[in-house]
Amino acid sequence: MTNKKTGPFGVLRSVALTCAAALTLGTSSLSAQAEDTIKVGVLLPLSGNFAANGQQTLTGIKMYLDEIANSVAGHKIELLVEDSQGKPDVAVTKARKLVERDGAQMLSGIVSTGVALAVNDYARGAKVPLILSGDAGGDDLTVPGPLANPYLVRVSQNGRTVAAAAADFAYKKGWRKATVIGSDYAGGVDTIYSFALAFCRLGGQVTQEQWPPIGTSDFGPYLTNLDRKADAMVAFNPGADGLRLGKQYSEFGLTGKLPVLDIYATIVYEPNLPQLGDSTLGMYSSLLYSAMIKTPENERFVAEFKKRMGYLPSNEGPNGYVGMHAIADAVKTVNGDLKDTPKFIDALKEVKFSSPKGDIKLDKYGMVIQSMYIREVQKVDGQLANVPVATYNNVDQFWPMTYEEYESYKYGYKDLKGQLNDCSKLLAKK
Amino acid sequence: MIWVIHVLNGIAIGMLLFLLAAGLSLIYGLMKILNLTHGSFYLVGGYIGLTVMQFTGSFVLALIVAAIIVGVIGAVIERGFLRRFHLDELPQTLLTFGFLFIFADLCLWIWGGDPLMVRQPRLLAGSLPLGDFSYPYYRLFLIVIGLAIAGGLWWFQEHTRLGTMLRAGVDDAEIARALGINVSLLFTLVFAAGAALAAVGGVLAAPVLSLYPGGDFDALLLAFVVVIVGGLGSLRGALVGALLVGLLDDFGKAFFPQFALFTVFVPMALILVVRPTGLFGRR
Repeated sequence: MTNKKTGPFGVLRSVALTCAAALTLGTSSLSAQAEDTIKVGVLLPLSGNFAANGQQTLTGIKMYLDEIANSVAGHKIELLVEDSQGKPDVAVTKARKLVERDGAQMLSGIVSTGVALAVNDYARGAKVPLILSGDAGGDDLTVPGPLANPYLVRVSQNGRTVAAAAADFAYKKGWRKATVIGSDYAGGVDTIYSFALAFCRLGGQVTQEQWPPIGTSDFGPYLTNLDRKADAMVAFNPGADGLRLGKQYSEFGLTGKLPVLDIYATIVYEPNLPQLGDSTLGMYSSLLYSAMIKTPENERFVAEFKKRMGYLPSNEGPNGYVGMHAIADAVKTVNGDLKDTPKFIDALKEVKFSSPKGDIKLDKYGMVIQSMYIREVQKVDGQLANVPVATYNNVDQFWPMTYEEYESYKYGYKDLKGQLNDCSKLLAKK
Repeated sequence: MIWVIHVLNGIAIGMLLFLLAAGLSLIYGLMKILNLTHGSFYLVGGYIGLTVMQFTGSFVLALIVAAIIVGVIGAVIERGFLRRFHLDELPQTLLTFGFLFIFADLCLWIWGGDPLMVRQPRLLAGSLPLGDFSYPYYRLFLIVIGLAIAGGLWWFQEHTRLGTMLRAGVDDAEIARALGINVSLLFTLVFAAGAALAAVGGVLAAPVLSLYPGGDFDALLLAFVVVIVGGLGSLRGALVGALLVGLLDDFGKAFFPQFALFTVFVPMALILVVRPTGLFGRR
């Protein structure tokens, strides 16, 4: 008879657990060797819908490693790369493999927030440093709360700051009514909600919200239904969706009729620009980076990135590059001793340097403080590029609010999908 | 006017779905092979079309080259592999599943991970103004070419000798063989034609849907929905199913956006409940 409480799968589960335990025991002795080599496990989607993001992040990571010739203060850095396929279950399996079998001493990369949440859970349990340097922008990961993880830092981005900068720019531009179109998943709703909240705080309003599912191939119905009395279309549609939305936006004759403000540059993503052509001219986007930033660090970065990938970098390359830089600096601070994990995390939180993205430092929660850029698609030397037209410096994760203000709002993004036109709800306090 | 656009759009997308589903349905109807590689034929066709476009700039040439190359690939797969498991459904399906992965990796290797957009022919680049709105010429072209291909396939099936043999094969392959029809050759031809049709669909869809890793699975899923709604093995079913799914998807997304994820699948589930064999399927 099978145990009533565990059901017929109880036996199976205990067998699986035993096997897993045996595997962990067997491999822990392996990971103790090779002291002088720092092993960095990298989880990125190298196939699937977010493959392009993964490839570019990896390019950035490798560019920094090549610059320091794979070694920092006498410690060799070895990269162990796994394809997460953008799937949380696959990613956790690969994370386990990296840490428990291959001996990775930390995990880095990660593009999808769903993957980040799953791996965060694992990393917290296994006490493995997790340095997010991919797109994963779920706000809650670096805010005190149920997801907070003392072993996590993020040098890439979060969802809301880029949206908040977009709202600020939209208001200054004189726009008061926005129609929003965002991918229907947690990250999409979170980002659009952050825009709506910031826009309401300033005095603007979202007049229409549309939520095409991830992987929407035909945006025709949404574009036909678009509120044409709005001042601008505010969009957030990552992956191949952005490319299709941009293409179909011009095909449906909207170019020049309704300005576009593209949070996170999901439409005017650099690899998309040559494919979409001149119809993107004048589109605005908000991002933590622009390939047109005029600093020596960035100009050097852009030249090398272009040599490797053949097009201008978007945020992923610089994020990966900065992630690897932060790791190298922290390894140097602790002199290669990664056994004291909290000390290594503290060292990570102390890093401070100039990067292609601008000046970088971290807050006490382990979240990066950096610059935000509003860019406009222009022709530079005959090539389409996102040229910065407004810059916000020293933007922390709660900008322009404080942590207390951020926490004071009654409703979160999960409560207000479908009601973002109601500023009184958005601005309601606890 | 907004209604006109929604209807046009539903039909245009329906036509793309038809091109995807027709080959899948024909192959199943004749050979009883659930061809999962069909998604690859679509994606590989699109990518080949893209490359041809890059080198020659000709959309017509892209369609022809993609159809020929993918058709040959289809013939090789049928002759070289599927034939060994004649009427053995599970090994056949698994085999086509394996090919799906192999082609997906090959595409990633050759064309990379970035989503790629194919430019439509310059002639069809603009859009037709309709009151306050406008509708892309290219999608109107899709409607025309979709109907033309559907008509051509119907004519072929009803009015040519090969078409008659095909229908005989669908009805009863054994008897057809006994009557002296070269069923073996017919199998290869239909498999190649189905693959070529998917490739044409890939090239035609690329300017609208873009090409990206994973596009093969997405296309396969939609093709399945269409053939389940329309009934496996029936060309008419594929056409009606595709139009139905295209229109329901458009209107569903436009007027019940909160169900956007299910607009394609709810009709499928409902039809399965009422008619498990699909609208035009036969037992």
